[in-house]
Amino acid sequence: MGQFAQFAINGLMSGAIYALIAIGIVSVFKATKVVNFAHGYLIMFGAYFYFTFSVVVPGQEWAPAWLASWQPDWLLAAKEGLPMFSPMGAVLDWVANLPRILFGLVGALFANAVVGLIIERTLMRPLMGQSIFAMIMVTVGLISIMSGSAQLIWTADAANVPYIAPNMPIRFELFGTMIFIFGTDLVNMVIALLLFGGIVAFVRFTKGGIAIRATAEDSSTAYSMGISVPKVFSRAWVLASTTGAIAGAILATRNGISPSLGLFGFSVLAIVLMGGLDSYIGVFIAAMSVGVMEAMTQWQLGGDWAEIVPYVAVLVVLIWRPHGLMGQKEVERI
Amino acid sequence: MLTIENIEVTYYHTVQALRGLSLEVPDGKIVTLLGTNGAGKTTTLKAASNLLALENGEVGEGRIFFKGQSVLSIQPDRLVQQGLFHVREGRRIFTEMTVEDNLIAASYALDRRKEKPDYDKVYAFFPRLKERRRQIAGYLSGGEQQMLAFGRAMIARPELILMDEPSLGLAPKIVEEIFGTIKRLNEEDGTAILLVEQNAGVAFGVADYGYIMESGQIVMEGDVAKLKNDKDIQSFYLGMSEDGSEGRQSFRDVKHYKRRKRWLS
Repeated sequence: MGQFAQFAINGLMSGAIYALIAIGIVSVFKATKVVNFAHGYLIMFGAYFYFTFSVVVPGQEWAPAWLASWQPDWLLAAKEGLPMFSPMGAVLDWVANLPRILFGLVGALFANAVVGLIIERTLMRPLMGQSIFAMIMVTVGLISIMSGSAQLIWTADAANVPYIAPNMPIRFELFGTMIFIFGTDLVNMVIALLLFGGIVAFVRFTKGGIAIRATAEDSSTAYSMGISVPKVFSRAWVLASTTGAIAGAILATRNGISPSLGLFGFSVLAIVLMGGLDSYIGVFIAAMSVGVMEAMTQWQLGGDWAEIVPYVAVLVVLIWRPHGLMGQKEVERI
Repeated sequence: MLTIENIEVTYYHTVQALRGLSLEVPDGKIVTLLGTNGAGKTTTLKAASNLLALENGEVGEGRIFFKGQSVLSIQPDRLVQQGLFHVREGRRIFTEMTVEDNLIAASYALDRRKEKPDYDKVYAFFPRLKERRRQIAGYLSGGEQQMLAFGRAMIARPELILMDEPSLGLAPKIVEEIFGTIKRLNEEDGTAILLVEQNAGVAFGVADYGYIMESGQIVMEGDVAKLKNDKDIQSFYLGMSEDGSEGRQSFRDVKHYKRRKRWLS
């Protein structure tokens, strides 16, 4: 039972990150009806921007020393005499890294927002009013452009980035077994859940959310009622690229950074389809259950199976409910 | 209020929908635009509310002025904020949202203006909408959906409403109610209305002036009183037989219409 709880928790933590990535795909789809195949590569850009602003820039000669490693006297004094691997030590290491972590996150958010805006402005907006299929094909083309340019800019070498939160181990007992999780994973999960909840509440309960839903349903009518549809489109892309930047930074701390990060977008696309392309709640449920399923198959059948089993489940769900778990079916008048 | 001068519209650079159409809607008047299917009535309205670009349409020649400004350079969202509201064909309510949210969506038309949306006015006008405020709009009946479409227009406080076939798919009794509403909107708020219709009988009931269009052009215009008495209009649009008798007409007698139509275009 304790083992079960451990793997379930692991699953929920990776599920939360899937959900965070899925926000971007769902937001763009809801506003523009475009399935963004390149979302994984937007995330990869976010990860590389985080790498740039938290590792490359602080490592330059002209950068102030405190940016790379902040070491005020009280921090050094506190570090003195701590045993190796103590939780306190992990927190203090994190504090020393804090300037570059914050610089990295802020930089990644801005830079990725700019990338999202450029994509929307130069590739998507001119296609407004054309068939959706053309726009979807553009996102497929973007995959090659983005993965290629990432290799040109940052080279294909793998690299590491600082953790967003103190990476101390947390242990507690549940059902007679010790449960063991990393502090940084827990913080990642909290960030993902907060962002998710905030965005869902925004779309549900605010006037801005009504504009998004109206645009999603009938963009030309929304346009003719005073809703600035181009603005809704660009906001959706900014939302996707900024949440993508955070997701990218988190993924980079978990798996290291390399151009293959972009592939992550495809597995999340499957999750989004399972949840229903335009339902935040459905996608949340799907992300969490795929996360847990992955962890469980890893536990019972080993890592090789973990790659397949959840996606077989996705297929089964899609056959059973083609619109996804909670995807909007067209409202038919009775 | 609205002046359309000699416009030509093509879709996909090849299909010509309007061929030099001109019309005018004066302040506070109801003007009706009648015509058969495919005559270009809806295209005319879309040109006036600048929605053509979204459908691969383009105004080639001609000019359209709303309150003295050319509409072709104003985006649709700004146009409605300046007081031109388009109630589109088939009502186009947001079926997946509640009645209330539909009205809130229309309140974007008041952005950049000082006015506040007056939901109570809409609910006073249509008590039925108030009862169904929290229902999903897609499950309303056709008549209620049309009321909602009007409600959205009222929220936007327009000076001119372009109304595309409000009678579409509604029972005669409801149509009567709807046209009563149109008259009321016009009389109480002084809103000018450009009314596109297939049902000439009811349209003449409310309108002050009428245009008849065929294959992308205006072929006849005049005060409604004058149009009503026109022989051709009586037989082609109001369904009365030529000599006023109730008897059936032979096809041979109608055939001249085809000739006439060719001559007109």
